[in-house]
Amino acid sequence: MKHVDEFRDPALGRVLAGEILGLVEAGRHYKFMEVCGGHTHSIYKYGIDDLLPANVELVHGPGCPVCVIPMGRVDDAIALAHEDNVIFTCFGDMLRVPGSEGSLLDAKAEGADIRMVYSPLDALRIAKSNPERDVIFMAIGFETTAPSTALTLRRAKSEGVKNFFCMCNHVTIVPPLRALLDSPDLRLDGFIGPGHVSTVVGVRPFEFIPREYGKPIAVAGFEPLDVLHAIHMILTQLKEGRCEVENQYARVVPYEGNPRALEVMAEVFELRPHFEWRGMGFISQSGLKLSKAYADLDAELRYAVPGVRVADPKACQCGEVLKGVIKPWECKVFGSGCTPERPIGTCMVSSEGACAAYYNYGRFAREREVV
Amino acid sequence: MTGLLNNVAAALAPSGSACDRDAIDRGCITCGDVAIPLSVLRVDGERGLALCKDDDGNSETVEIELVAPVAPGDRLLVHAGTAIARLSEESPV
Repeated sequence: MKHVDEFRDPALGRVLAGEILGLVEAGRHYKFMEVCGGHTHSIYKYGIDDLLPANVELVHGPGCPVCVIPMGRVDDAIALAHEDNVIFTCFGDMLRVPGSEGSLLDAKAEGADIRMVYSPLDALRIAKSNPERDVIFMAIGFETTAPSTALTLRRAKSEGVKNFFCMCNHVTIVPPLRALLDSPDLRLDGFIGPGHVSTVVGVRPFEFIPREYGKPIAVAGFEPLDVLHAIHMILTQLKEGRCEVENQYARVVPYEGNPRALEVMAEVFELRPHFEWRGMGFISQSGLKLSKAYADLDAELRYAVPGVRVADPKACQCGEVLKGVIKPWECKVFGSGCTPERPIGTCMVSSEGACAAYYNYGRFAREREVV
Repeated sequence: MTGLLNNVAAALAPSGSACDRDAIDRGCITCGDVAIPLSVLRVDGERGLALCKDDDGNSETVEIELVAPVAPGDRLLVHAGTAIARLSEESPV
């Protein structure tokens, strides 16, 4: 497959792994965070962590949009789905995220009309085919997904669709990174930056990481060679005493991002003063809501939502996993009480969640190690 | 070192049967940070939409406003039904 196969070349992988080995200093421990769940997925799928020297540790960051949704928001979504005459639409992974009293899938089993969609445009199509009913789209995701929601809302408005509404849960990537960097729990040596978020926002928003915190970052693609190459770039910076933002994924990510996407986002969304993140609490200006111009399409203004904050289940350690404080397998319920089939925490739901990725790919290697 | 290098080829080649992998390999394409490369088949410029297909031949309608103008044959990076970037013909490693 063009643009993909070239970045899975085992021979080049060997060269990179060898060079990485040559870049690390013996006796020094390196801790790099891959911000994005897509990278976590690639790392476990291709066994990239097995290719790294023992003193290079990868820490999984908060960049899985499903994983960071708090339970209270799931409860709000379920309440909206149970409203009379509502068709509630969302992405597939969101259906299985547990709220305090079950998931959207459970609500569907109880009779709520909940439908899985692959894009906001699909949800708009459902609205147009069902003009007598209100169709709510539960929007989640970082800046990669927000433009898609924004364009669909703009399309709904311009086409005069009156029965399409959005429950907005979009989040932005910089505030949680700042929260992590300010956290005393975590000492990081560098970051693998999110590739497709950067396609939209560009490279510039990450410049505060080297400037204010003195950590290198390489924005990376998602194929195995991309991730290895980014690690190589970060290690090279550290070895040479440099500290900057590098763009490993320049074949896709322009320095300025996609200005048209940023423009439509600015038109349709505005920042919420606070938004709750699972395991990380409330983070200032980290979430988006619909702007005043789009208030008529805001599901949370059309319907009352409970808006109750719900604590995570005691057994679940998603918060620590999302902050990179513990590894997935160090959670007490990993693989026993919490599995992708019956998740307790969000990190086990999405295939980009660190726990699900590790459960699907990594646990077998670890079992071998333990035995 | 040799062990490490031996592991590279094995680790870079995904194992397991194709059907096992299918669901997992796709990742969370709808909501995560992952996007997929698609080729443009037909363009409806007026509505800002294009019919695109992936390398397995599956087709879907895609919003093209963020990368317009596009023409049949162009390669786009698509996320949640929206093209967020163009893929250039050259692919520097």
